[in-house]
Amino acid sequence: MTELSRIRNFSIIAHIDHGKSTLADRLLEECNAIDKREMESQILDSMDLERERGITIKARAVQLTYHADDGQTYALNLIDTPGHVDFNYEVSRSLAACEGAVLVVDASQGVEAQTLANTFLATDAGLEVLPVINKIDLPSARPQEVKAEIEDIICIPAEDAPEISAKNGINIHSVLEMVVRDVPAPKGDRNAPLQALIFDSQYDSYRGVIVYVRVKEGMVVPGMDIRMMATGAEYKVVEVGTMNPLGLTPTDALGAGEVGYITASIKNVADTRVGDTVTAVANPAAQALPGYRQVQPMVYSGVYPADGAKYQDLREALEKLKLNDASMSYELESSIALGFGFRCGFLGLLHMEIIQERLEREYNLDLITTAPNVVYRITKNTGEVLMVDNPLEYPDPMDIQLAEEPYVKASLIAPQEYVGNIMDLATSRRGEFKDMVYLDAKRVELHYEIPLNEIIYDFFDALKSRTRGYGSLDYELIGYRPSRLVKLDILLNGDIVDALSFILFADNAYPRARKICEKLKDNIPRAQFEIPVQAAIGGKIIARETIKALRKDVLAKCYGGDITRKKKLLEKQKEGKKRMRTFGTVSVPSEAFMAVLKLDED
Amino acid sequence: MALLQRKNKIPLGIYVHVPFCRSKCQYCDFYSVTNKKDLDFDGYTQAVCTHIKEAGTQAPNHIVDTIYFGGGTPSFFGGEGMAMILAAIRKNFDVSPTAEITFEANPDSVTDRLLRRVRGEGFNRVSLGIQCDNDNILKTLGRPHTYAEAVMAVKKLRKKGFRNISVDLIYGLPGQRLQDWNATLNNVLSLKPEHISCYGLQVEEGTPLYNMRDFYNLADDDTQADMYLSAVELLRKHGYHQYEISNFCKKGHTSRHNMKYWTGGEYLGFGPGASSDFGGSRFSMVRDVHQYIEGVLQGGTVVEELQEVAPRERAAEYLMMRLRTTAGIDRETYENTFLLPFAPLEAQLAEYKQQGLAAQTYDGRWHLTARGFLISNSIISDLLLVQERSKSL
Repeated sequence: MTELSRIRNFSIIAHIDHGKSTLADRLLEECNAIDKREMESQILDSMDLERERGITIKARAVQLTYHADDGQTYALNLIDTPGHVDFNYEVSRSLAACEGAVLVVDASQGVEAQTLANTFLATDAGLEVLPVINKIDLPSARPQEVKAEIEDIICIPAEDAPEISAKNGINIHSVLEMVVRDVPAPKGDRNAPLQALIFDSQYDSYRGVIVYVRVKEGMVVPGMDIRMMATGAEYKVVEVGTMNPLGLTPTDALGAGEVGYITASIKNVADTRVGDTVTAVANPAAQALPGYRQVQPMVYSGVYPADGAKYQDLREALEKLKLNDASMSYELESSIALGFGFRCGFLGLLHMEIIQERLEREYNLDLITTAPNVVYRITKNTGEVLMVDNPLEYPDPMDIQLAEEPYVKASLIAPQEYVGNIMDLATSRRGEFKDMVYLDAKRVELHYEIPLNEIIYDFFDALKSRTRGYGSLDYELIGYRPSRLVKLDILLNGDIVDALSFILFADNAYPRARKICEKLKDNIPRAQFEIPVQAAIGGKIIARETIKALRKDVLAKCYGGDITRKKKLLEKQKEGKKRMRTFGTVSVPSEAFMAVLKLDED
Repeated sequence: MALLQRKNKIPLGIYVHVPFCRSKCQYCDFYSVTNKKDLDFDGYTQAVCTHIKEAGTQAPNHIVDTIYFGGGTPSFFGGEGMAMILAAIRKNFDVSPTAEITFEANPDSVTDRLLRRVRGEGFNRVSLGIQCDNDNILKTLGRPHTYAEAVMAVKKLRKKGFRNISVDLIYGLPGQRLQDWNATLNNVLSLKPEHISCYGLQVEEGTPLYNMRDFYNLADDDTQADMYLSAVELLRKHGYHQYEISNFCKKGHTSRHNMKYWTGGEYLGFGPGASSDFGGSRFSMVRDVHQYIEGVLQGGTVVEELQEVAPRERAAEYLMMRLRTTAGIDRETYENTFLLPFAPLEAQLAEYKQQGLAAQTYDGRWHLTARGFLISNSIISDLLLVQERSKSL
């Protein structure tokens, strides 16, 4: 075990793209933690998807051995945090495992919405926040102004903030020195009852779940019986150790102040929830560490295999994914239109996209996803309260006494010239303006209360395009408010396609219905007969388009020399039809579902 | 050779691809050459004859009942070459005395000399490329003849004793309206051909027409569909029986050679770009006249693609090709040949019948209607999917 005074536990926080992962890589290099040749860029983001999207999806931790200028050797535990609002709770738990946070701010972009949001999370967790000015080598860098911004807006001293370029390895040493000097050493009594905070876990097919913990009090050793205080699950510890960039290193024990892992033949990540406290069965802590909550999915959507026969494959893929991602939920759902599938819950739209992409990529599945849905609270005339995350479960309007939808408090930051655009956008999304603060001479932060439903589709994209990419967004759930909701049904050739139904704000129904009908008309191929595309509320049709019957699809000539080529053509056409789902008599390609999801793109 | 013995022989079609043209038509995507330096008629004739000699040994149990000279423009290539090649076929294969022997011709190269030569050799069917009765359109398409020449050609053919004349027409041409097409048909009907092929214009990638497609006033799908239905109706009224998507004939004048393609018969192709379906495999010759000549004469590969066709694939081909014909498909043949259930197909066809896209004959065969033919790709791909999902009997 390392002496408390030689340990530093810290995170790196930043707005997206400000260079968090690149800095992490440089710190690893600087500590010779990994050979440069072995260095895969951004080693902390180990999922392919993360590397492609340049974001951290799951937190990872790594221990660095640093020989500081003071002649001492320190164990620096770097805990990476996810960089997206969907994962706010995970971020808060990772931060709770640290004593300090390095705040990376882009030297030309300055303070952004997530800079603020993450800093607040860090200060709330009682962390020492240490600013670093990154991308100092860019021509547009304005370090002095950005430092002033940090002091003005976030109210933390920034004058001595290191000016670095993570990309080009400038001044990395000063960041490490700052960590040693300014991040407080952890406290804790290694003889006290065990309290270890779970900040992440990962399923490994050989060892079972690897639980990433920060020991706050006491000690954990192999052979010890441990208990997860929230779930009550008990296990015998098999191994403890520390995380190194290229793997795990077993140790004899993990003591208060240390960051490391525990394995205990745990089969399910659901037993090791982020934020839970690990204690010893023999000498349990009196209470759990504060801050735990069970993560609730915010967005739900139906996930179906494009080829109905692949249902079992999808089920297995979800089971495996769930092993690694306790924040996702899924349960069996069946749709008249799509057959068997799953209603999946996600933390947000990014989370949803990531899960979908992983299913398609890692498990080689073609998916059809239905429109994302927030959780509505419906009070029926009988007094019964329903939480509705699925349009199929939406009660008859006659039975509804009160319909409520979730609202968020959104913080939007952008240069002042875009205030008008942002206000237009927020208002068109039913945003209620709260206040506006000038962060500095140029930039403004606006606060709105907006229905979550309006944010989940494409709000962020719309914000980016209306602010030339400068706008940033952060939001948190603030509760439910009464609303006028309707369920919109889509009919193809007179039959309701349940998988296309969704719940929305009544006033949005007409324009939305028209757009959906148009999109479907463009995306459903002409069939052998005419297909009416209709949108209806209750029994009332509010929009209609017609897909004309296919009149000509023929190979005029087909003689000896044409057969092989034309065979391929018909085979291709057949394969295309396989990917379509048949509703009554109408075949709908999966692209049509996607098109309906991306309604606001044009 | 004794007739009794012949009876047990397997029928075989022979196709000779003559890849030479006077000029290239704007819409054509067949393999043909027009440059003077490429027109190596002698080398080509020698190569094809050699090739035929080699192949003849492969088919001792076959009887050739159809021969087809296509192109390209066989009439441009000339009677001498055709006669030599036909002689080589007769020498190396067992050719039935009642064989259908066709050559393709363009009106500008139908000469008395040519006809005299080929008629004597036994050619008994001509497929004449007329395409259209409007000289402006013919010029736009790059056709090397006028409509008056086409009329003349038919007269010459009749005079030389050809009793089985087929004409090719195209609808959906640049600037052509429905009434223009109907007029073309009526004009051509007055020539009383035994056989008419009506092709909807297909704009194939890689053709000059494809590159210029936005500048021509081409008929849209709906108009092409109207033109097609109008032709089917008009030809029916004039006593022409539709036996394939694009083919119509007077009684007893189906193209026996082409029927082989649609009914799974065997055929051997000679010449660059020619395809074969023989001995369970499909293969085609290299699409280059010089490579072909060199390959055959100096020993090298001339076969470009060779594919053995699996039984399941044959079952798919059966649907694809047979449903092009009005003879259609039937339970007995299907189940006995492929050991696959016909019922799922029949269920789907019954739905098409309700929509007026398919019909069933009194003896139980299923075929598509004219409206069905028009969207036959869509229908056949549906049926292929049904077939793929069915289990062997």
